[in-house]
Amino acid sequence: MMSTKTITVGRVCRIEGHGGITVEMKDGRPANVQMDIIEGTRFFEPLLVGRHYHEVTPIVMRICAICSAVHAVTSLMAIEDAFGIKVSPQTKLLRDLLVQGGNIESHALHLFCLAVPDFLGYSSVIELASDRPGEAKIGLELKNLGNKIQEMVGGRAIHPVNAVVGGFGLVPSEGDLVILREELEKGIRKALATIDLMAALEVPTFPESPTLYAALKPPSNKFGLFGNKIVLSTGETMDVHAYKDLCNEVTVAYSHAKQSRFRERPFMVGALARVMLFGKFLSGQAKTACRRLGLHKQTDNILYNNAAQAVELVYSIERAIEVVDELLHRGVKKERPRHAEIREGSGTAASEAPRGTLYHSYTFNKKGRLTKADVITPTAQNCANIEKDLRASVERAGKDPVDALREKLQMVVRAYDPCISCSVHLIDLRPEAERG
Amino acid sequence: MAKPIVGIFGLTGCAGDQLVILNCEDELLDLAGALDIRSFHMAMSDNDEDCDLDIALVEGSVVQPEEVEMLERIRSRARLLIAIGTCAVWGGVQAMKNEEQREKLKRQVYGPKGKDFGIIPSQPLSSFVRVDYAISGCPIEKDQFLQAALSLIHGDLPVLPDYAVCTECKMRENSCLLLERGELCLGPITVAGCNARCPAYGQPCIGCRGPVEEANVASEVNLLREKGFTLVDIQNRLRTFGGQSEVMQVAPTERGR
Repeated sequence: MMSTKTITVGRVCRIEGHGGITVEMKDGRPANVQMDIIEGTRFFEPLLVGRHYHEVTPIVMRICAICSAVHAVTSLMAIEDAFGIKVSPQTKLLRDLLVQGGNIESHALHLFCLAVPDFLGYSSVIELASDRPGEAKIGLELKNLGNKIQEMVGGRAIHPVNAVVGGFGLVPSEGDLVILREELEKGIRKALATIDLMAALEVPTFPESPTLYAALKPPSNKFGLFGNKIVLSTGETMDVHAYKDLCNEVTVAYSHAKQSRFRERPFMVGALARVMLFGKFLSGQAKTACRRLGLHKQTDNILYNNAAQAVELVYSIERAIEVVDELLHRGVKKERPRHAEIREGSGTAASEAPRGTLYHSYTFNKKGRLTKADVITPTAQNCANIEKDLRASVERAGKDPVDALREKLQMVVRAYDPCISCSVHLIDLRPEAERG
Repeated sequence: MAKPIVGIFGLTGCAGDQLVILNCEDELLDLAGALDIRSFHMAMSDNDEDCDLDIALVEGSVVQPEEVEMLERIRSRARLLIAIGTCAVWGGVQAMKNEEQREKLKRQVYGPKGKDFGIIPSQPLSSFVRVDYAISGCPIEKDQFLQAALSLIHGDLPVLPDYAVCTECKMRENSCLLLERGELCLGPITVAGCNARCPAYGQPCIGCRGPVEEANVASEVNLLREKGFTLVDIQNRLRTFGGQSEVMQVAPTERGR
């Protein structure tokens, strides 16, 4: 006699967007494990068709609030790739700074407001603040630092208005950069306090299972969030223009969700993937932090993604200081955005968003109007891997009381820092009848 | 005075308006002290799904039948329902091509697999329930949100601007992008509250806050046509964020489901 049981989490809290989990157990083993995406679809790709190239970025960055800065920068790079626009070194530096700001804000939000309450046993950052105000304050101040960078460089903390095709509307003044540098110096101390906090946490091992990692390879032997080559932990590399070979989206029989698999294997993108693949290139205090949290050794445990984000908090602040210094050393020039020579063609670009590699690819006609768009977000790529880790967790903790198991499954999903808004333009919802 | 009982909810959108609330880093803990927040899925576990609410803040637009039920349920629990963000107030960017058949869009994005799920044209909250206040913006402005929260905490109703971005832009003494540079700027017909953020960076207003009350759209369209823009480009810009608004329909479109 077969016994079957279904465990569901109707809605995972403390993540961005609406997602649930369904696990079907047969004879005490997981038969079917699903990450359900319940958020409504917005059809971003068709919305962009027919629009002028300069209208594309302000629309497409509305896919996601938390990572709008990196969506904007990647979108601009894809448009510039299509038209062969080469931006100035100053623009490249400012974009790097903007993306680091987004990384700081996003990681601080995830660590202090969404994930860490799990490890410390609180239901929210507000509850954390009433017991441990020091830690909550550090988290909010780091988040604020990331937002300050995005406001200064991007013109707004969410959906930046100042980053445009060919450059920036208005470049920040040297005075602004000097003030920012002081804030960044203070930020380093707070990021190191975050490392102390993370070092004291015990990381459970229940979701551990062999993992394939993928990230963009930085052009020089320095840790970074940009690159033109994708690298896998198997050693394989490919050009970003061949991103479809990696993100190979398949429709799976039990769900309508499109998922990414590389040669039948799910893979993970995000802070942990970057640190696993390129942690050896970290320098300064980020390098020390990486060793301190044990991330110089390989791990297949997704719960270490939180630690990897903490290491990147240190990295992103150190990199931001480096960029500010370089801008000040070169002297900030009041340059206008580079002009676009409109032509028919396609362009593709990728960046490392807080949650992993983000791809934008567009085709334009000879009038500069968009005819085709493809955006592949990190969470869409991670969905298959989330299910793999949920399955491993159920296999190890399947005998736990149902409530405890539910908590563990939510911890796994949350560790990925999923961004459902991002994923949902590709991944659809399942019909009501199939939901738990 | 008892603390107002508050629920913060998200329908379909980018979560940017809820993020603006979390981005009030300096004020968040005071705000959480002055309000009794019972539901905020993005930031809390242990949400109360049943209690009566003094204030419900709802972000996002309605794009699926389940969200109509969710919204009606929130309405029945709340004394005041406040729409936050352009998606909740006007339908958002996802309402841009509402006249196109959902079935066709589903096929384009999902292929034959798309046939199994229910989807409706993106609509603002007011298409389904009574909305007591609307704070627009993509995303909402932090200061405007905090001022509104302050008013509500004191038992007052928030005062929102009834003038255009153009007014704020003039007060900042920016040079006019529309008249002087001939750019497709929607400042004259977009509701203020952002302190003319985009024009201050040399970028035209793209209307992300939605139309101002009594917007003179006809005059704006004439002006833009004189500047050489085609009706299609003007319509595209008007509808990027004002999709569902009647005043933003200048060219005849076929309304469909």
